[in-house]
Amino acid sequence: MNAIFTGIFLLSAAILCFIAPDAFLTSLLDGAQNAAKTAFMLFGVYAVWMGLSAVAEKSGLSRGAAKLLAPLTKKCFKSDDEEANGYVAMNLACNLLGLGGAATPYAVKAVKLFDRDKNSFAQKLLFVINATSVQILPATVIALRAGYHSANPADIFLPSLICTAVSTAAGILLFLAGRPWRE
Amino acid sequence: MARIIPLIFISVILFALFKKVNVYEGFTKGIGEAARFVFSLLPCLCAVFMMCELFEQSHISDKLTELLSPVFGALGIPRELTKLVLIKPFSGSGSLAYLTDIIETYGADSYIARCACVCYGSSETVFYISAVYFAGLKVKRLHYPVFCAIAASLISTVVACLICKTL
Repeated sequence: MNAIFTGIFLLSAAILCFIAPDAFLTSLLDGAQNAAKTAFMLFGVYAVWMGLSAVAEKSGLSRGAAKLLAPLTKKCFKSDDEEANGYVAMNLACNLLGLGGAATPYAVKAVKLFDRDKNSFAQKLLFVINATSVQILPATVIALRAGYHSANPADIFLPSLICTAVSTAAGILLFLAGRPWRE
Repeated sequence: MARIIPLIFISVILFALFKKVNVYEGFTKGIGEAARFVFSLLPCLCAVFMMCELFEQSHISDKLTELLSPVFGALGIPRELTKLVLIKPFSGSGSLAYLTDIIETYGADSYIARCACVCYGSSETVFYISAVYFAGLKVKRLHYPVFCAIAASLISTVVACLICKTL
């Protein structure tokens, strides 16, 4: 991220220096103001979903989902580390419920534990799954469409479901197919 | 389909009531977490938005979009989505800004906006996630998993543009 930020910043600044020096500072200020506006909008979206997810967690609903997924995680991640498997299950459960923000902390904890176990296969597999998006309910997008007066904000549910399945399946297949030659 | 969301809320809250959990307290606790989360996001958000604005104003993005849109076009991805597809692996907030822009420009129910929504919803910020997950760890050979994730996102983008035509 550092290289990308610095590279784009310098290149853009150099070009603007020639074509429109006045636009430089206004661009930066506009960017900062847009960030503040977006942060407010994001807060609204996250407040709704993290509020609900906190209720689900308190009532034990999330933990139940984790237990349900536990045998699956044990087999797929080739891991006997129960603590790590629990975090993986919570991560997958949150992802499936479309609570991406809630899912990340669990994945980070699981990856740290897998590191202790020297289970780099599980680390990378968990990364590929998370990096290809596994949500059933694209909550952010639906909320956004509702905000812009869509006639039926949830009608992207089915296409999204298909695509998220395609991307995760493709990611896992590529990862598994390429592994024998890589490890 | 629109009933799914209220139904999820109702069932979670009913289950919480059944378990004798204080729903109001739980909800406010979650909102508190949301506030801290957004606040922790703000520095990155601000820097990335400044970068995106410069990127836009210096017309680099136009040149890059122009250069790559024939390639994307050949894959069936509309040129209006090129920028969104390019920025998504790097920045969730940046791509969210483009997504909002697309919805605003073309209308929430247009083909372009629906495509953009599906692409956005079925892909992730690959580079950001790899940075967060593996921060401070010495995991070797990360290039291949990152490549897998990027390739998979591209495949699902192509699929998204195809199925949004019919569904």
